[in-house]
Amino acid sequence: MPRRRLRPLLFCAPFIALFLAMYVAPIGYAAVSSLYTVHRSGLGLTAPTKVFDPLGNYARALEDGAFLSSLGRVALFGVVQVPVMLGAALVLALLIDSKSARGKGFFRLSSFLPYAIPGVSAALVWSFMYSAQSSPVNRLLHPFGVSIPFFDSDLVLWSVANIVTWSWAGYNMIIIYAALQSIPAEVLEAARMDGASALRVAWSVKIPFVRGALVLTTVFSIIGSAQLYNEPTVLLPVSGGSVSSTFTPIMSAQSAVAAGNYPYAAAQSVLLALLVGGVSFVFFRLTGREERA
Amino acid sequence: MKRSIMRVAGIAGAAGLVLAATGCSGSGSGSTSSSGTSSITFWGWAPGYSDAVAAFDKSHPGLHVDYQEVQPGAKGGYQKMLNAVKAGNAPCLAQVGYETLPSFAAQGALSDVSAYASADRGDYQPAAWKSVTLGGAVYGAPVDTGPMALFYNKKVFGSLGLKPPTTWAEYQADAERIHASGPHRYISSPYLDYDYAGLAWQAGAGWFGIKGDAWQVSMDSRANDKVADYWQGLADKGLISSAPMYDQAWYKGLGNGDIATVVGAVWQAGVIKGGAKNGAGQWAVAPLPQWTDGARQAGNAGGSSTAVLKGCDDPKGAWEFAHWLGTDRSAFGGLVEKAALYPAAKSLLDLPQLKGGDAYFGGQKIYDVFAAASAHVNADWTWGPLMTKTAADLDDGLGKAWAGKGTIADALHTAQDQTVGEMNKQGLKITG
Repeated sequence: MPRRRLRPLLFCAPFIALFLAMYVAPIGYAAVSSLYTVHRSGLGLTAPTKVFDPLGNYARALEDGAFLSSLGRVALFGVVQVPVMLGAALVLALLIDSKSARGKGFFRLSSFLPYAIPGVSAALVWSFMYSAQSSPVNRLLHPFGVSIPFFDSDLVLWSVANIVTWSWAGYNMIIIYAALQSIPAEVLEAARMDGASALRVAWSVKIPFVRGALVLTTVFSIIGSAQLYNEPTVLLPVSGGSVSSTFTPIMSAQSAVAAGNYPYAAAQSVLLALLVGGVSFVFFRLTGREERA
Repeated sequence: MKRSIMRVAGIAGAAGLVLAATGCSGSGSGSTSSSGTSSITFWGWAPGYSDAVAAFDKSHPGLHVDYQEVQPGAKGGYQKMLNAVKAGNAPCLAQVGYETLPSFAAQGALSDVSAYASADRGDYQPAAWKSVTLGGAVYGAPVDTGPMALFYNKKVFGSLGLKPPTTWAEYQADAERIHASGPHRYISSPYLDYDYAGLAWQAGAGWFGIKGDAWQVSMDSRANDKVADYWQGLADKGLISSAPMYDQAWYKGLGNGDIATVVGAVWQAGVIKGGAKNGAGQWAVAPLPQWTDGARQAGNAGGSSTAVLKGCDDPKGAWEFAHWLGTDRSAFGGLVEKAALYPAAKSLLDLPQLKGGDAYFGGQKIYDVFAAASAHVNADWTWGPLMTKTAADLDDGLGKAWAGKGTIADALHTAQDQTVGEMNKQGLKITG
């Protein structure tokens, strides 16, 4: 009897060991090290000491203007970019799913393709499109006397949002489209028998049906927004100062590492993780309650 | 089922191997084998280092150096070194840039080898020696330096009847002439972090200093404001291109004559040659313009050392190799050819590899200009203890200033405030 109980554990052991070593341990290490503050003295040419000061780094983070504004920036980004991107993904999915759609395979593949391009490469290509010297967009607009200042400090966040939307809308579309595929044919047929138009079917049958997929993609996108890093980092050197080295929370933590202050970077990361966890939880609760009602 | 278990086991095994491998690579911090030969490990990335190490091993049977290539410093190499020091399995020696060396020291990652090294200080140029010493300690041997000069487009200058400027006032007059000759033509492009530092360095506008056991921070000094205001003036008059350095637009401008000069270090000859092939035959090198007529001050940008890391248990052997790498004629000849390194040792400035003419620069013997400059590089320059952070903060402000949304002087003041704030928070001592 005890042997039989042990066996599954034995089979799971490699996974558990890897999970603990590669996933739990680093998170635990970051959380623990965030409780210490770095102390040097004099010229600081000897190894720094770490002092247990559980709130020191957190207190500092909460009065760090650069860190707080990076949080605000990413929150604003998420509030605007996530609905726009998912709206686009939903519309695309519905179009490809609709009965009268032609060339489904082509549109499915072509809208998914940007996702296959690594984030850094995508940002590099877009930085060329945005650059004052080379922008083909502005060259096209030139005859009309219009030029878009993509790197203007008010606009640069939305230039980043555009890259992210371009990269990820197709990916989210595939998830939503897969959910659309699982709608039973009888349900759709019944709706049509009742005389519902295609738009009406989409609004009253299909969208409620893919609700779960929408909630899932929203949470993924919220987490993605919080981890914003590749795109602004690539744009930083060409943005004329509009993207700073603390533009997003991850970049802010990175800059603490550059200052040799690992515990402070860990504290910023823990705060970010808690915030994202909290927002995701609240979002799940809100959407879950509506479902029950 | 069985297959997936095998796969997991395979991954676990691979992970184990990786751990074992990293364990091995770190274990070379100075060990003596039974045969009596001592062995030390050296991490670096410059092309040509592995050949130099092989030559050393052949000629020094009593000391074996094991060279391991890592990512370039800013691309992860420095992080790997610091992590290895923290884990207690760092190599004895590592390639560390002068600007990063004090940050390594401030993390307690270096060993003082002054007991073995001090006797050899006379072999190196004073500015380079200063770069590896901090508060009386010597942390490694200089390898290469980056004396600066003025790269200029001879064709553009010639077409306007201009000669290379000898003073910064002349440079400004030339800037106006060049821009007046075409709205897309500029004398230069924005300088950031370490390239900007070279401009301050030439003017004697130091950023950091050490007084007793405390740091001095002087990025907002009057000398710094003078340099900042000069370049601000050029930017305000629209005489500076907006193409960021090392960007595609910059190379294009260098190639087609839209950007007519680069105030840069010796290694930038390679950058310009490689990135702006269209400009072949048009470019030339002249001494830096001066603040006062007839002076011969030069700045420096770049250069690196072979640093001795904490935990090295053969510091004597480490110094022996580091000093050899910086001063051996035949080894350094190879480094000039393969990595375009410019020697920090005085006796190597006449290497035959530094004597030839360069077709890209119209057959000019450009190293002669840098050799003359290297004798006049201000030795009073010290890098700060949090340089990576200082440089990032400075760039945040400089980027805006060059784009017309602030001033260079403000960028320096802000970077100083942020650096001092962070130094205070970490407990470093600062004096006025």
